[in-house]
Amino acid sequence: MARDKVYQEEDFPTPLMQLWHNFKQPPVVMIGFSCFIFLIILAVVANFITPYSAVENHLDYLLLPPAWSNEGNISFLLGTDNLGRDMLSRLMQGASLTFGLSIIVVAVSLVIGVIIGSLSALTTGIKSSILNHFLDVILSIPSLLLAIIIVAILGPGLENTLWAIIMVLIPQFVHITRNAVKEEFAKDYVLASRLDGANSFRILRYSVFPNIIEKLISQATLAQSAAILDIAALGFLGLGAPLPMPEWGAMLANGIDMFYIAPWTVYLPGLAILFSVIATNLVGEGMRHALKVRKES
Amino acid sequence: MLIFTLRRISLFFFTMLLLTILSFSLSFLFPGEQLINLTGQINATPEHLAALAHQYQQQASIVSQYFSYLSHLFQGDMGYSMASQLPITTEIFHRLPATIELTSVALLIAMFFGIPIGFFAAIYHRKVPDNLILAIAMIGYSIPVFWLGMLAILIFSIQLGWLPSAGQISLLFEIEYVTGLQLIDILLSDSEYKWQAFQDATRHLILPVIVVALAPATIFMRLARTAMLEVLDTHYITAAQAKGLTFAQIIYRHAMRNAVIKVIRDVGLQFANLVTIAMITEMIFSWPGIGSWLIESIYQRDYTAIQGGLIVLSTFIFIVHIIIDFVYAALNPLAREPNHGT
Repeated sequence: MARDKVYQEEDFPTPLMQLWHNFKQPPVVMIGFSCFIFLIILAVVANFITPYSAVENHLDYLLLPPAWSNEGNISFLLGTDNLGRDMLSRLMQGASLTFGLSIIVVAVSLVIGVIIGSLSALTTGIKSSILNHFLDVILSIPSLLLAIIIVAILGPGLENTLWAIIMVLIPQFVHITRNAVKEEFAKDYVLASRLDGANSFRILRYSVFPNIIEKLISQATLAQSAAILDIAALGFLGLGAPLPMPEWGAMLANGIDMFYIAPWTVYLPGLAILFSVIATNLVGEGMRHALKVRKES
Repeated sequence: MLIFTLRRISLFFFTMLLLTILSFSLSFLFPGEQLINLTGQINATPEHLAALAHQYQQQASIVSQYFSYLSHLFQGDMGYSMASQLPITTEIFHRLPATIELTSVALLIAMFFGIPIGFFAAIYHRKVPDNLILAIAMIGYSIPVFWLGMLAILIFSIQLGWLPSAGQISLLFEIEYVTGLQLIDILLSDSEYKWQAFQDATRHLILPVIVVALAPATIFMRLARTAMLEVLDTHYITAAQAKGLTFAQIIYRHAMRNAVIKVIRDVGLQFANLVTIAMITEMIFSWPGIGSWLIESIYQRDYTAIQGGLIVLSTFIFIVHIIIDFVYAALNPLAREPNHGT
């Protein structure tokens, strides 16, 4: 029996709800999404639930292997590093540094990029052409080189690397917002609301943004996996988080000298980075798949 | 084709203009004296500094300062490295070839393996091989390159002992500097140990190239897969099927050629990404290239080196970009001529 017209009023899901509906279909995407949520929760609560402090030294237990090996100790589940710091606690707090900060970085650059991008989409002529070329130049400089230059200007340190990565990510968002806004502005429904007397900002706010938000989110997941890798890479190179901080890249750099005696100090942070990047990429992949499905239907 | 070339050339000039402005303004942004950042003369006497200030037209307006900087650049003068007090140009000429060698071999390897595997995945669309390849690709571009490099050294150089872990060639071999590209220099040299040296250099190249090529290769896999799927969806493929061509004929004669063109268009965009990966890999494998030199120079606060490195590395990327554009235009008639009658 057809149940098309049970309710009087018709309910149109917002673009975001439609995206979610298509997004949750493939199981592998949901696994990635749960890992992503798990990492977010871990990043928020890590400071309260870690068994030890991330910088506390247990001098009796230096370079203890993980608990499943014969020399391991169950009170240090993932072993300790060369200064007797608990690996599990450090990895958990690293989640709030590497992963949590990458979310903040992406959010900030998303906001700035969207503002610049939509302003530039509204301008035409030589100004927008120059901006376009400028963005192309910036986008073709390797991201790490750009980040290194910005760190050289600001000086090393975690906070400065974050600013550097924000600035590296902004052009991508400007680019995608600009193209998406221009594309939407060419459509008829924008013309309709323009005929109703809406000014450009009103059209942006009420007509265009709800329709391009999913593209921005999908770009944001791409940017986030790049941000995690960049934060870790700069930490690894010693330009980002200082050594005692449990940032995953800095932990890797710390473990390098003991690679052959204590391989877990290198395996574990690397796996943590890999895990979080894969979780982010799975979410992004699911998002793009959902967008494609919606376009085709 | 003429218009296409002119457009590329004008784009190149515009890009270089922006790039030099960027690098010129960096000398103001870096900490310390602007003139010293620009020239790298940290130990100069006041008289020498005054002469330099005159040379760079410091008393004139900012525009003429920029132009005098440009003219120095055109004469190949990028100042002196603050760390080693050698001219930046010589430093770069000794290091850039190693980077060119590493990145171009890695790019070729990544394309050589990535594109066919992507086609293979597209042919088995939504079957087991496709899913398997997608899963591997996902891991491939998610893996942090510094971690991958360390694992590669641990497994292949230390535990198995198959390949050397650092440097470009064993120190036993003495290779004359001709082009700077190690492999070509070895072939040009008339040493009696030429082939041993060539083998040794190749063995040194294998691990870094694999580490650099892995992530771009997985991206090419995905690009090739998408391109192939798009091509297989077009009307001319349906027409070919209707004419009764076999599947292999369709793939080899029609689909593959058109899909390769689509992938090549995107190779240029991936190259900047590949250079980023190569910079970190050079650091891990002590590869004597420009990437590891740049990272070293930031530890030493060598601002002149950073400016020079930015210009040279970005120019290299743009040139590769433009070469790939031309290859694309040569392969695809639709890109070089304006469409008529569409």
